[in-house]
Amino acid sequence: MKATIFILLLLLSFNSLSQRILLLHGTAHIGNGNIVESAAIGVVNDRIAFVKNSLTQTFNSKDWDTIINCNGQHFYPGLVSANNTLGLTEIDAVRATRDYNDVGDWNPHVRAQIAYNVESKVVETVRTNGVLLVQATPRGGWISGSSAVMKLSGWNWEDATVLADDGIHLNWPSDRTNYQAQKREIYTFFELAQTYAQAKSEQASDLRLEAMKACFKGQKRVYIHAESIQQIVDVIDFAAAFQLTFPVIVGGHDAYLVGAKLRDSKIPVMLSRVHSLPQREDELTYLPYQMPALLKQQGIAFCIQNDGDMQPMNTRNLPFQAGTTMAYGLSEEEALKAISLSVCQIMGIDKDYGTLEVGKKATFFVSKGPALDMRSNQLTTILVDGQFVSTSNFQEQLYFKYRQKYKTAAKAE
Amino acid sequence: MKTHLLLFLFALFFSYELSAQFGPENGVKASEPKFVLIQHATIMVKPGQTLTDADLLLQNGKIIQVGKNLKQDGAVALDYTGKVLVPSFIDMYSSVGLDPVTFKNNGWRPQLESNKEGAYYWNEAVHPELNAAAAYKAIENNSDQLQQSGFGFALTHHMDGIVRGSAAFVALGQTEVDKQLLAPKAAQVFSFSKGGSNQTYPSSQMGSIALLRQALYDLDYYSKNKALLPFSVSLSEWESQRNLPVIFKTEDKWEILRAQKIANEFKTNFLYIGSGNEYAIANELKSKGIKLVLPLVFPEAYEVNDPYLAREIPLSDLKHWETAPSNAMLLKKEGLDIAFTSFGLKNADQFWTAVRKVISRGLSPTDAMAALTTVPANWLGLSAQVGTLETGKWASFSVFSADPFAYEAQLLETWSLGEVRIWKSATSVQLLGTYALRIADENYELVVTGSSEKPQGKILLKTASDTLSTKATIQLKQQDVSIQFLSLATSNPQLIQLHAKALKNGLVLEGDGTDAKGAWFHWSAIQQQTTPITSPTAIKPDSTLYGQVWFPNMAFGSTQKAAEQTIIFKNATVWTNEKEGVIKGADVLVVGGKIKQVSRQDMAAPAGARVIDATGLHLTSGIIDEHSHIAISKGVNEGGQAISAEVSIADVVNPDDIDIYRQLAGGVTAAQLLHGSANPIGGQSALIKLKWGVNPDQMLIANAPKFIKCALGENVKQANWGDFNTVRFPQTRMGVEQVFYDGFYRAKAYQKEWDAFKAGKIKVAPRVDLELEVLAEILRSERFITCHSYIQSEINMLMHVADSMGFRINTFTHILEGYKVADKMHKHGVAGSTFSDWWAYKFEVNDAIPYNAALMTEQGVLVCINSDDAEMGRRLNQEAAKTVKYGGLSEEQAWKLVTLNPAKALHLDDQMGSVKAGKAADLVLWTANPLSIEARVSLTMVDGVVYYEEKEQAQKQLQIEQERTRILSLMLAANERGEASKAPQKKVKKHFHCDTLGEEATETENSH
Repeated sequence: MKATIFILLLLLSFNSLSQRILLLHGTAHIGNGNIVESAAIGVVNDRIAFVKNSLTQTFNSKDWDTIINCNGQHFYPGLVSANNTLGLTEIDAVRATRDYNDVGDWNPHVRAQIAYNVESKVVETVRTNGVLLVQATPRGGWISGSSAVMKLSGWNWEDATVLADDGIHLNWPSDRTNYQAQKREIYTFFELAQTYAQAKSEQASDLRLEAMKACFKGQKRVYIHAESIQQIVDVIDFAAAFQLTFPVIVGGHDAYLVGAKLRDSKIPVMLSRVHSLPQREDELTYLPYQMPALLKQQGIAFCIQNDGDMQPMNTRNLPFQAGTTMAYGLSEEEALKAISLSVCQIMGIDKDYGTLEVGKKATFFVSKGPALDMRSNQLTTILVDGQFVSTSNFQEQLYFKYRQKYKTAAKAE
Repeated sequence: MKTHLLLFLFALFFSYELSAQFGPENGVKASEPKFVLIQHATIMVKPGQTLTDADLLLQNGKIIQVGKNLKQDGAVALDYTGKVLVPSFIDMYSSVGLDPVTFKNNGWRPQLESNKEGAYYWNEAVHPELNAAAAYKAIENNSDQLQQSGFGFALTHHMDGIVRGSAAFVALGQTEVDKQLLAPKAAQVFSFSKGGSNQTYPSSQMGSIALLRQALYDLDYYSKNKALLPFSVSLSEWESQRNLPVIFKTEDKWEILRAQKIANEFKTNFLYIGSGNEYAIANELKSKGIKLVLPLVFPEAYEVNDPYLAREIPLSDLKHWETAPSNAMLLKKEGLDIAFTSFGLKNADQFWTAVRKVISRGLSPTDAMAALTTVPANWLGLSAQVGTLETGKWASFSVFSADPFAYEAQLLETWSLGEVRIWKSATSVQLLGTYALRIADENYELVVTGSSEKPQGKILLKTASDTLSTKATIQLKQQDVSIQFLSLATSNPQLIQLHAKALKNGLVLEGDGTDAKGAWFHWSAIQQQTTPITSPTAIKPDSTLYGQVWFPNMAFGSTQKAAEQTIIFKNATVWTNEKEGVIKGADVLVVGGKIKQVSRQDMAAPAGARVIDATGLHLTSGIIDEHSHIAISKGVNEGGQAISAEVSIADVVNPDDIDIYRQLAGGVTAAQLLHGSANPIGGQSALIKLKWGVNPDQMLIANAPKFIKCALGENVKQANWGDFNTVRFPQTRMGVEQVFYDGFYRAKAYQKEWDAFKAGKIKVAPRVDLELEVLAEILRSERFITCHSYIQSEINMLMHVADSMGFRINTFTHILEGYKVADKMHKHGVAGSTFSDWWAYKFEVNDAIPYNAALMTEQGVLVCINSDDAEMGRRLNQEAAKTVKYGGLSEEQAWKLVTLNPAKALHLDDQMGSVKAGKAADLVLWTANPLSIEARVSLTMVDGVVYYEEKEQAQKQLQIEQERTRILSLMLAANERGEASKAPQKKVKKHFHCDTLGEEATETENSH
């Protein structure tokens, strides 16, 4: 019922802005590994109507409300940042702005969606580099809470929601001394939750266990944060024990060492930040840069995410993190896929997002040059669900303001 | 000659008379000391000299004579056939007989000042007034462990703090305390460890170094001017210790070199207590003539049966585990003098296990013995009294069942100043074996196993069909044996207690016993079969049982020290950073660590040169990181005070940091290692070249300009450090300004005073103040400031302070609002070293914009992009590239932000920062345009030495894995032998950030 109203509201809002946008003559990086040179992209209302070679087509300008000639520029699907506190915090050091870590070890019922601040100043600086979707994710405890896939543009959190409560985030224990006991604690909680979920009779409502229910019905993902081999192989067993439909490993530093096992278990990995140091003194210096290629070679489904120091603001470097892997075994299109389609597939929103394909939401951007290289990541157009979004942000405004100050001063002299 | 000897003997007696008791005797006077003559012993007189079937004559606690067939009227003669006498060992690092030093605690708020009442030194970690002799208590048994190990003497001191006070040389044992204090002030002890003091200062190793130096200057000043100065208990007491040897406790090999600099500065010498990893720099220590007391604590093996866990052990730990027991051998081989301390060992077994391990690793038994006897005696200037069993020395020795340096011998007795303490009777009953036991007409079998000290028994009853058995508890005290067991009755077994005398050395046991009802009965047992006592096992030395030492001794270390080469790069795209710009198809020749020639024409390779085909590759000068905190030991901040200009990062450079290699892999060749931002005036910088496998001094850039870190804003006012951190001034930006004025005004006055002295206007040299020395250098523009800064108000404030004092701020680092005041910065002539795009991590960076570098550049400010972060430090090329995106700098401009501009900001552009003949060969070869997202480092050289090559990485990895596997298999064997072991723990590499407090690096997020 609630969902129906929600969809209705969305439709209404877009109907009122009914529009047809045509973008011409750009290189379309589809997001699935393919490229369409000299592409034309047609957007009708909030969806992509076509992606074609513009040289072999003729378009009647009267059919379109807006036509943008993107001569020589590049089209990219909106980049997607998984596992991120973006929108849940504004200034890392200021406690009053931190909304991602609540009290308690078992917080599946705590929901990131409603704390997401779509008007965050950080959000707009991230958007202008091409990241248009984020999985807003809580932190802390054994189960941090439920994440939500959010757009980086909207009037409010309801408006910005792509997928509410897409999954719970479980932090797999890493403490060696109490490892077995802590693992047992997690099993116990999941046994309880599973029993609750399977019970036929109406039960007295338990907020925690209610929030877990969908995990056992394949309607909610279980994101398990794990890094070491021991953790990863235990997570594989754990997922099998509870027959989880959609387990996901987040982090996965050692995943490259247990490739066959992961591939067989079909558990995808949201790899840690590319721009990070090796976790062990003895590891190859550039191991984190090589990991995406190592997983690709082994046929493991993966994407790249950006958890780490100062992650909200650093999300704007997601394209460059992916770009860095181009020197370490991924092609440009594979690198792009790791922050677009692959993320959406893992989170289960690839029907609507992740590529420049017909029928998908018109959430994409135009860059003057290759967007995974910082020198040429220059956005000229941003569309989120078919709506134009500013390519500027308050930082650029400050830049213009002070540049003007110096120009005026120079003239005065 | 004879007269001399007589005189000497006379002196001995005379001294004994002098040391007679002062107090009254309760009862009749004890009899005069008699002669004791030990006969037929094996006497290890001194290292390298052993007498067999020899005698030792003692009187009044001293050795009168040693030799064969000695005679002495009235001597108590003791037959020591088969026993071995070893001179008592000397432990130079001990706190035996002393209570721990206590400190008054302030509660949870930071304690900036001393809590000690009285005329003491201002810092509680400096307590030279602590007098070990005065506090020494010969508590019974507290030296048992030392004595059981064979030690008869210890240099004991209050084991706490930086300047620890005087150490007393004591004889261990059960003699009266006043006899034990052989040398009440034998040495003084220093360290870099603050100890139990709760005072905030020092909070880092560089702070400890500065504090020790300042205290030594203060001591000097005090002794020259004490008539004019208020009395100081600490300094006055310290003055009396000035001629004593200094023992310096270290925790790491590099600390020895750090301390040695202080020794040189004050024209003195230290004796070092080592930490166990000195073998890695044996050559360096030898060249400096270091005297080392080595610990006998070796790292335990890890439990390596779980391969997942074994992965977590870094190769550095594995290698150290393998080589640590060879430390003494390797140092001795290099020609160093060494002694041993038992400090850190838990019991005598551990001591002897360690000594035998050291000998088994190839240290000669003679050297091992010397390290425990003559060497320490000599270093302490006590050779005339202790260290050997020669005439005139103290009769302090240990009696062993065999030569303990050759066999697994047992300690039987210790003699201390002529008084014996028996630990184990050599003629103890030997019970091990099988006995026929007869109790109340029933025949049993008694089997005694275990050891003579801890026998374990079993009673067997053989019936026609079966053998019943039960455990028996056996105790042996001299000749008395008691045995307890539960009867073998199938139901309701009863307690049987036996007592017997062991006759014929245990061959026969005979006595009485009681049953459960308390009835007495007679019993006997006769030994049927003896378990032979194994003769002592000889130690088999093998001096090859250690791993190869790498440079550095860890992953990615080299087996050979990297050397400088003649190299020619052919056909490279060269980013010159000079007016030629980027030139294609150029050749660059490197000779003698310098760039010899840059040529557009094809150059012939000199004979023997390495030729690198750089076709399609880009060659640049190395990246210079203006702001880095890697490669620092024990603390990046001396935050204990608002001004800590006296401390220097250059004192604590750590060449064993893996991040050095990682930065080289990112093309970084030089860096400014900065003090953190915990206080307004922080510490002096270290300007280093990134070199791998060298010592700290080789990393420091020779004759580099002097720099100091200052800081403003949230960190210095402790805004984000919790509500308890509200004590230290300043807590506001208002206060920050006043800290600077105060410091510089004081420095001006200081300068004036010294100027007056130098001009002869005042006679007495003023006090040396290390803090003001440095501030005065700033005023004289001999030291440059790199100042951590964020918002425009504070930036402008500091420029005003500098202007009013007549100097210039050299660099603002971070400077995230520099774009707002770039015109003022340009006018002041200050450089801006910034992040490319960081913001939002704290309130004061709310207005930070990524266009900052470009806007400042446009206004003529010299701009650098720095890392302040070990991760970002290795991809500064990417960070520079962001300025093309944000603000549209040209690629050459962008590239200079991380190369030439920092060279200029650091005043090093005469020797680095561009590819130009005559400059240092700090070069990086890239696989692509270095600003491209696809660029990788192919090769990095510093001063013509190649430290990183991409193509070697697979080989390096293989080498690391092979070395790991090799040592892990040794460790597994040690596990199987049952050697002490510990569980591996994942070690997360920790990092220092601007705001890291204390000596430990952290895993916390970087908040800059």
